[in-house]
Amino acid sequence: MEMQADKQIRLLLVDDEEDFRQTLVKRLNKRGITASQAASGEAGLALLAERPMDVVVLDVKMPGISGLEVLRRIKQMALPTEVILLTGHAATQDGVEGIKAGAFDYLSKPIEFEHLLGKIRQAHDRIVTIREKQLEAECRMRLGQQMIATERLAALGTLAAGVAHEINNPLAIINEAAGYMRLLLNKQAAGLPHREGFQKALDKIESSVKRARTITHQLLGSVRKNESVLAEVDLAELAGETLQLLAGQARDKNLKLELETTTHPKGFWIEPNQVRQVLINLVSNAIHATPAGGRVWIRLAGTDGGGVTMEVGDTGTGIPKENLEKIFEPFFSTKTPGQGTGLGLYVSRQIVEKLGGTIEVRSCLGQGSQFILQLPNQVEPT
Amino acid sequence: MIKIATHILLVDDERDFVEMLSLRLQEAGEKVTPAYDGRMALDLLKKENIEVVILDIKMPGMDGIQVLKEIKTRHPLVEVILLTGHGTAETAVEGMRLGAFDYLMKPADFDELTAKLQGARQKKEAQEERIRKAEARLLLRKGGNI
Repeated sequence: MEMQADKQIRLLLVDDEEDFRQTLVKRLNKRGITASQAASGEAGLALLAERPMDVVVLDVKMPGISGLEVLRRIKQMALPTEVILLTGHAATQDGVEGIKAGAFDYLSKPIEFEHLLGKIRQAHDRIVTIREKQLEAECRMRLGQQMIATERLAALGTLAAGVAHEINNPLAIINEAAGYMRLLLNKQAAGLPHREGFQKALDKIESSVKRARTITHQLLGSVRKNESVLAEVDLAELAGETLQLLAGQARDKNLKLELETTTHPKGFWIEPNQVRQVLINLVSNAIHATPAGGRVWIRLAGTDGGGVTMEVGDTGTGIPKENLEKIFEPFFSTKTPGQGTGLGLYVSRQIVEKLGGTIEVRSCLGQGSQFILQLPNQVEPT
Repeated sequence: MIKIATHILLVDDERDFVEMLSLRLQEAGEKVTPAYDGRMALDLLKKENIEVVILDIKMPGMDGIQVLKEIKTRHPLVEVILLTGHGTAETAVEGMRLGAFDYLMKPADFDELTAKLQGARQKKEAQEERIRKAEARLLLRKGGNI
């Protein structure tokens, strides 16, 4: 196991003493570590510019630029590299200064090989941890942005429908009022003063109402379109697709995604986009809540009434009791502001209830959470 | 051609809308009774000889679908045209399954509304005509037995 990890270490050895370098490289080689070499600080920096390194073992005392200067430049460039300094026998001062400048550690020459090897491994472990954390943060940010986008869209859809509806009512009043005036106008004999002016103004009102109506109807239509595509759905396939969508994020966190299906009804009619949206919300929440190495699963089972139960579970941090009541409320979020809108679970519950189902949560702090969806078949089996 | 007025019950909680559409329909030769909620509509249906109901779906209290169910139970021959201001075409379709003649999205095109009113009225008359004929046959048969 250790050998395996050692092989992956990208190591650079910078020392002006040829013999010392050769001996060290040979011994490292025997342990399965391939090291690059540089005979001066300048050569070392040039090599680093070309090839990323995990660990640099750096002699302090060299002609040309000193090891401490090389260390400073490495830190300036913010390279993801750990530096181990090799100082002269009586020069602990150099070592301390080096650590202050950001070195991982220092060893005094003459060095003990096993000691150095241990330090190299420690330095490598740290660099790997840092890199994982960075990846995780990036992935969280990306996922957060996606979530915010979908949630905003959903909220926007609801808002748009609401606004369109509110505008349609007064529009209808304007429409009927204008229509009434036109009828009155048509009844009047030609002698009415400004008859043509009235006629023209009414034309404008009516054509404008038509224009506004087109807009509101489109707005309502666009919301409706996403909502009402009823189809015969293979839920196992749908759940699998959802996990596939989020597999990248799970991989970054080293999480296992699992799909368990026991029985599930064939000929299940439901709105697939809606169910997918709910599953994406729940699974991404689960991935968020689960530390590296954990599991996230969707479990699918048919119910006696021809419906289906879907459980989205994780081995994550769990939800504190005092929050369990609140998680479905709009704008409730434990994420830092800007990370989540607090609408994901709210929207999910709305969708599930619209489909005639229920959503429940069970959680145990430190052990994980399970969200349980019960969905009825939208078409009675014949 | 002499236009025979259709007796319409117009039900909507938006009073301005009821007022304006009533004026327009009356000006176009129809007879309109206004109602501002479901309860009032059902009371009026008992008292007056309504032919067609124009019914808003979204109302506080009894919503349009509930009112529709009541109308179809108590006055099955009265035709109902649903009005929806919301994107609830599904609700409108459900309404038609429950016996509504048709539906319109607000703001409705007046020509469309007129066409649907005419259709509703014709359907009602045709149905009543069949009932009259059936009654007549029934009477004849009874007469024959005497």
